[in-house]
Amino acid sequence: MNVIAGELFPLDRALRGIRERFGAAVIDADRASMREHVVILPADRLAEVAGAVVNEWGGTLLTMFALDEREEGGRFRVHAMFSMAPEDAVLTLAAAVPSDAPAYRAVSTTVHAAHWCEREMADLLGVVPTGHPSPGPLVAHDGWPGGMHPLRKDFTVSADVAWPPRFTFVPVEGEGVFEIPVGPIHAGVIEPGHFRFSTVGEAVLKVEVKLGWCWRGLEKLAEGATLTRGLELAERLCGTCAFSHALAFCNAAEELAGAVVPHRGRALRSLAGELERIANHLGDMAGILNDVAWVVGAAELARLREMVQQACDALFGHRFLRGVCVPGGVARDLDDTQQLWLRRVLAEVRADVQDACRAAASNPAVMDRLNGTGTLTTATARDLGVTGVAARASGLAIDGRRDHPYASYRDLDFQVITRAAGDVYARFDLRLAEIHESLNLVDQMILRLPGGPIAQHLGELPPARWGFGLVESPRGLASHWLRADPRGRIGDWRVRSASHAIWPALATSVPGNIVPDFPLINKSFNPCYACTDK
Amino acid sequence: MWEVLKRPLQVGSLAGREAAPLPAGLEPAPRGIDGDVEVLGEALRVEVRRLFRGSLKLRHLDAGSCNGCESEIAALLNPFHDLQRFGIDLVASPRHADGLLVTGPVTRHLEEAARLTDEATPRPRLLIAVGDCACDGGFCRDSFAVRGGAGSLGPVDVKIPGCPPRPPVLLRALLEALGRESVRAAAKG
Repeated sequence: MNVIAGELFPLDRALRGIRERFGAAVIDADRASMREHVVILPADRLAEVAGAVVNEWGGTLLTMFALDEREEGGRFRVHAMFSMAPEDAVLTLAAAVPSDAPAYRAVSTTVHAAHWCEREMADLLGVVPTGHPSPGPLVAHDGWPGGMHPLRKDFTVSADVAWPPRFTFVPVEGEGVFEIPVGPIHAGVIEPGHFRFSTVGEAVLKVEVKLGWCWRGLEKLAEGATLTRGLELAERLCGTCAFSHALAFCNAAEELAGAVVPHRGRALRSLAGELERIANHLGDMAGILNDVAWVVGAAELARLREMVQQACDALFGHRFLRGVCVPGGVARDLDDTQQLWLRRVLAEVRADVQDACRAAASNPAVMDRLNGTGTLTTATARDLGVTGVAARASGLAIDGRRDHPYASYRDLDFQVITRAAGDVYARFDLRLAEIHESLNLVDQMILRLPGGPIAQHLGELPPARWGFGLVESPRGLASHWLRADPRGRIGDWRVRSASHAIWPALATSVPGNIVPDFPLINKSFNPCYACTDK
Repeated sequence: MWEVLKRPLQVGSLAGREAAPLPAGLEPAPRGIDGDVEVLGEALRVEVRRLFRGSLKLRHLDAGSCNGCESEIAALLNPFHDLQRFGIDLVASPRHADGLLVTGPVTRHLEEAARLTDEATPRPRLLIAVGDCACDGGFCRDSFAVRGGAGSLGPVDVKIPGCPPRPPVLLRALLEALGRESVRAAAKG
């Protein structure tokens, strides 16, 4: 990437590029918040401009969604949001799509990372991306009855509608090619998803991932809801990343309302976020060892995870930290004794996780399964907009805590750790390194915990404004976009969890591996089903 | 090999121990009543012996859960809770199960798969709703995309509320349920 003097910042570079090359097309451009810049374009130019933002000016797609504005303006509205890291800047490309013929040229034609977002948009709002490279229903399985689009404001459904989950798959043909259907109900205590493997012998030629089973219509439930209710929904998007989603939701609400969270509240938010990361990483690593049948290590890591969760329970009243983050701050404070005790518990975790992983790494039976399995290349990870552990283990140095600092991360010292290999071991080993970094962070936060109140009262939501929250959840970037309706309640809520970007990338890392390694590869990414489905 | 065995030998059995015991004088955050895993488990073992000849096999069925209840069911199997020692285990197939642990509000997308799984479970079987969602749809009961809980599969024998219910709460609810006449009858068929 060429950086020219005076054009150091990606956002400036992109804005200048848009002005110079697409200036005639730009309808409007303005700042939406301290970090978000909005450029309004004709819908059919979105793909072209988005392509330049990502492929030439260094942007990464964060999320893409559509909104129903037929009542106010006789149109649908499409937003494509890009991270302009390393600067803490977000570029939003927005476009109006006419309500009588809701179609526009698909952004996926130039930005591959948008492909699931656009299919989802077609399902939920009936806004059709034309020329999409892999069109077809995503959430709606093989289509809902009667062109049903639940996120349209005038949507109603009768209770009797039958929703048959039927799919078509891209067939793989040839001598000795077999199809193996797996799921949606799995043999373990895990979430529902359907995987269709095309195999020759044990080798996988292709796997197609069909999700949407957990689709509970949460974004629809939020329409017209209060903030309290919205938070309840956000915390239950994903059971294990509950705190991160609550925080991203609250960040969006606070940006919308123009509220500033007190320092101590911000620091406690980072602390809780790191506890959630440690617990999740330990659980994921235990899962990886369990899937290679190294039960001793799995039990040890499960023990450490349970310690962290019980500490969360004792200090914050919930094993998954629900109810801790509230709009305006946090709901519980930690006194000196509690801080001291937390550090003591975590010191034990630090010592023991190291021992367990050293024993795993010195065991050839374990390493044989982990090394070189399920490789996600750097190029694919970047192309599909993967974030979090999956991206960093494939060599991409991206981390929402550093790139778009929230809570108190601006004041903390930490490293963004990467691994180059992109295989199962890289993701395992990266998690270990990140646990140490998170433990360091907790120590730092406790030593530097500022005084003062932990929360500020959040006033009324100003109507028709929007806010955007980005949080580095244990799995990667979670983005929550929130707009208030004229009554000051939630008008529109759009969520994209990290897992949404991981699933398609996971599918590319499986071919060439053997069928029995699929659960292991899946566990090493550990994308969540529920927060992908929503 | 020594590296592998060293840790378990040093630590010993963790079953029934608290993972992060609070020191004296440190008040825990307000939370529901849990109960002692050891006491609950021992009582459960007696019931399981009487009703299921010492072996109660359960199958987990995710019907649209957020993964919170799954995590807590999985936590029942970790070294602190070690569910198997009470004669209860989770099995891979509904055909091997005495009961179903249903989590989630039963989404419309999963309705058919959940029904087929239930039908594949030999009768008599216990239908156990784990978590608020499975009990009555929970936080998303108003959604058009869900059926409102395990009740849509048939009469529910045991309801375990909580969001998600903590591991000792799961044990206690199971124990209470096995003591109920209706559940005893359902277990015998």
